[in-house]
Amino acid sequence: MAGLAILLAGAAVGLGLARWLKLPAIPLLIVAGVLLSLADVLPPAELLQDSLLLGLTFLVFLSGVELSPRRVGRQRRAALQVGAAQFFILGGLGLIASLALGFALAQAMYLALALSASSTLVVVRILRSRKQMFEPFGRLVIGVLLLQDLLVILLIPAVVRVPEGAVAAVTGLAAALALTGLALVTLRWITPLIVTRLSLDDEGTLLVALAILFAYLGLAELLNLPLVAGAFLAGVSLSAFPVSGIMRAQLNSLSDFFAALFFTALGGSLVLPSLAGLAQAGVLAAVVLLATPPLVTMVAERAGHSARSAIESGLLLAQTSEFSLIVGLQALAFGHIDQEIFSIIALITVATMILTPFISTDRATWRLMAFHPVRRGLHVREDLHDHVLLLGCGDNGMPLLETLVSAGHEVLVVDDDPAVIERLREGEVPAIRGDGADLEVLRAAGATRARLVISTMRRPQDHLALLDLVQGVPVVVRVFEPDDAAAISLRGGTPILYSHAAADEFVRWLAQADKVGLDRERRAHPR
Amino acid sequence: MDELYLLRSLGYILIAAAVVVVLAGRLRIPSIVAYLAAGLFLGPVSGLLTVSEVIHLIAEVGIALLLFLVGLELSLDRIRDVGRVAVLAGIGQVVFTAAGGLLIAMVLGFTLMESVFLGIALTFSSTVVVVKLLDQKKELDSLYGRIAVGIFLVQDLVVIVALTFLAGLGDPDALSAAGLSLGLGRAFGGMALLLAAALLAARYVLPRVFAWVADSPEPLLIWSLCWCFIFVISAEVLGLSLEIGAFLAGISLAQLPYSHELQRRVHPLMNFFLAVFFVSLGVQMEFGGALEHAVPAIVLSLFVLLGNPFIFMFIITKTGYGRRTSFLTSVTVAQISEFSFIFAAMGLATGLIDDSILSLIGVIGVVTIAASSYMILYNHELYGVASRTGLLRIFSTAGEDPSPAASGSTGHVIVVGMNALGRRLVELLSERGETVIAVDTDPHKLEGLPGSAVIGSADHFAVLEEADLSRARLLISALQIEDTNILLTWWGRKLGVPVSIHAFDQSVVDDLEATGANHLIYSKNTGVQRIAAELRRVGVLD
Repeated sequence: MAGLAILLAGAAVGLGLARWLKLPAIPLLIVAGVLLSLADVLPPAELLQDSLLLGLTFLVFLSGVELSPRRVGRQRRAALQVGAAQFFILGGLGLIASLALGFALAQAMYLALALSASSTLVVVRILRSRKQMFEPFGRLVIGVLLLQDLLVILLIPAVVRVPEGAVAAVTGLAAALALTGLALVTLRWITPLIVTRLSLDDEGTLLVALAILFAYLGLAELLNLPLVAGAFLAGVSLSAFPVSGIMRAQLNSLSDFFAALFFTALGGSLVLPSLAGLAQAGVLAAVVLLATPPLVTMVAERAGHSARSAIESGLLLAQTSEFSLIVGLQALAFGHIDQEIFSIIALITVATMILTPFISTDRATWRLMAFHPVRRGLHVREDLHDHVLLLGCGDNGMPLLETLVSAGHEVLVVDDDPAVIERLREGEVPAIRGDGADLEVLRAAGATRARLVISTMRRPQDHLALLDLVQGVPVVVRVFEPDDAAAISLRGGTPILYSHAAADEFVRWLAQADKVGLDRERRAHPR
Repeated sequence: MDELYLLRSLGYILIAAAVVVVLAGRLRIPSIVAYLAAGLFLGPVSGLLTVSEVIHLIAEVGIALLLFLVGLELSLDRIRDVGRVAVLAGIGQVVFTAAGGLLIAMVLGFTLMESVFLGIALTFSSTVVVVKLLDQKKELDSLYGRIAVGIFLVQDLVVIVALTFLAGLGDPDALSAAGLSLGLGRAFGGMALLLAAALLAARYVLPRVFAWVADSPEPLLIWSLCWCFIFVISAEVLGLSLEIGAFLAGISLAQLPYSHELQRRVHPLMNFFLAVFFVSLGVQMEFGGALEHAVPAIVLSLFVLLGNPFIFMFIITKTGYGRRTSFLTSVTVAQISEFSFIFAAMGLATGLIDDSILSLIGVIGVVTIAASSYMILYNHELYGVASRTGLLRIFSTAGEDPSPAASGSTGHVIVVGMNALGRRLVELLSERGETVIAVDTDPHKLEGLPGSAVIGSADHFAVLEEADLSRARLLISALQIEDTNILLTWWGRKLGVPVSIHAFDQSVVDDLEATGANHLIYSKNTGVQRIAAELRRVGVLD
């Protein structure tokens, strides 16, 4: 009990620090574990070992449950391209770098696998706090992460058996695929039946989830697969809606608890790498930090994303994953790498994760935008005067555009979505591809000479540059939160509170629906 | 030992338990009985599982979490009300059952030493079993639930005192007056110290500290668990039980505004750890010499199942509670405890009793725990039968039963997600005269709104239950979280409550419609319309 309490106290300190410093939790939990071991108050080795094992199982299990393609939405193709490109190219670069640093091939392979994926836990947390989960770029990034998790899990069974020869590696991969097949069957037919038909209470639901987890662990052992493959596929078999939603409520605190213990115990079981090891870790971390952003940016843009969101994706993905640690642990368990290499992997992960919030800022994005070719091709529209400038014009903006045009206004649209620009040009509406938050783009669009600027851009802070630039021109701005509206008014803009508009409309709808009876009311609202 | 021992054991435990629970799903057997059955299968029947130190640790964590939850549910004020009856009934029952058990055992022909052990073993009733069932029934906070919890806490203290004496039996020095008062002083001093620490922290430290992490679930969970473990370990150091430590830790967090959300988050963890506890309890049963003691097993089980409630009825009606409350409380104590086994095992180790007594106590344990689980689960029905047949007339009482609490809301509107849209909806709907319940994870966002509020994540069905979803006339989500919105739609459909969901982006519309949302709030559409209206107002459009 005392050992568990110490581990938990370490985790509490790590999480507290993470919150105080506004950094991702994982690296600070690991640091807290290292501190425990430096202070020589570590719990007994068996408890550490068990915490690692259970934590790893739950961590991987939960990422299986979260494996929902729904979140990726229409970005599936793009996510596939970006995810695969980053995974394999970065993996390749990692392999070359590790070999160049003098690692043997077997070890270099693990290092490469560790470098090739980005962290779902860290990135999703950041996207969520910035409310960007459901922006197109957020969906792209999530798709990339899901794909990479899947690839790592499928490759671990192959890689751990490489030393036994090619046949064994292929057998490993085949066994993993067979278990995947079973998981898909469970997903499709079995779990929905159990969860929705049996009307279990919370306790029963949790037990069923855990029984499935352990049944898959047993199967993985029978098939001679690494445990992580079993845990992940058990999660996958619960990932269909509504099973996943019901399960998540039950499993989340278990996974929070065991993950906190896991990362702390992991920190506690690290050995300090030698100076050479530190240098190697530095080089490999540099590979991740320097190669990921340009690589992702290029592929994401080719897949149809705007320059800004492609750069943002690249910056956000520049870290190694919690799965890198799991790859390391598996390799350690099989005796394929030693403690020193494992510590190198942990070091890279801690360093790149801590740096992520500092790298993936608006400021960094705009710095990189300066180098982007898109802005060099900007054609400055000197000819435009007294026009209406519409910043952002997706599906919802189209009716407004049509009204403006038919009222005889000269309208110029700025949008960063290549598909929108194409459509507008086909309709012979003047349009500039670029970001409405970009001063260069605004100048090119003659913002200062416009008779009116309408901004429907998503992020509140994007309007601010515009308002500072176009003093004197009336600006109508989309906002959601009253606080943002106040900031816009302060700078002379006219905020339109979408939230209040929607609430008013809702109350109107309810008054109508109540006349017919709410139960019978179905989709009275126009799309 | 095998590196994967822990995973393998957990695998056996959880799979066996899940199989029993699923098979028994429609029979509605108490999960405790299912766990015991799974444990009996894994241990005595098949021998698949032996209980090691780490399983034992997990089981203990389960007990600690359960009592932590009880503390979170009950604030100190609620417990103080029932202090007198708890002390009287707690001590009265211990004396009566120990004496009765001793007598019956002597009559059945056991030696004096054996009878003493049997008597004491029958005295303990199981806090874990009862609290688990009350929690499952969501009746911990009812009057009888609180009295029961109070009684168990008193008994816990009595047990500690009894153990101090027992330890004295083996060690003549400790039996001296000085040794005994030292032991007792330690127990009560420790209790006072922990209680003071809990109350002071609850008043001066915890609100501020926890407010700082209130809006992020992960630190909130880990910090409170850490707090719980600090108390558990302090209790151990002070010679108190881990139950008391965990309970006090829970009490000290109970008055925080998000204690309910914390409960919901600790709950699945507790269920996991506690399942291991109950299954391992079954695994450890030994029935070697049970057959030769068939008659005593039946007689003593009946004594626990009927005698214990009887004496409780007697004491509690005398302290001024109504028949119903007294009956429901009394029914909870009709079982012996996991501690009885530990106690008997101690006796076996010192050679005071032989293993046939141990297995006899095991049989009584399994029988009474299983039977009393049913009794507690169906306690209201049982009361109906007992009062109709006039059995309860012999207990005279001046006390009245509390009238059944007013049931929750009906015909109300639930609004989930207090962003600008959610808050505005709550305001407008209240102005319209609707009863509104607002739901959000962040207490700050619920401040200053009309109507009532539930703090918690809508991902948990329990949050929706707390907002009385099944009786609501409309469920609205203003959230901009796709997964939760779809889940809410699904729950609404399942319970037949109309659902209106914020379709914050075109990309979420298809799935919401496919899941069956009745109405979607298109904030972008209406927003653009309002921009057009503004343009008309300033004369850009006509």
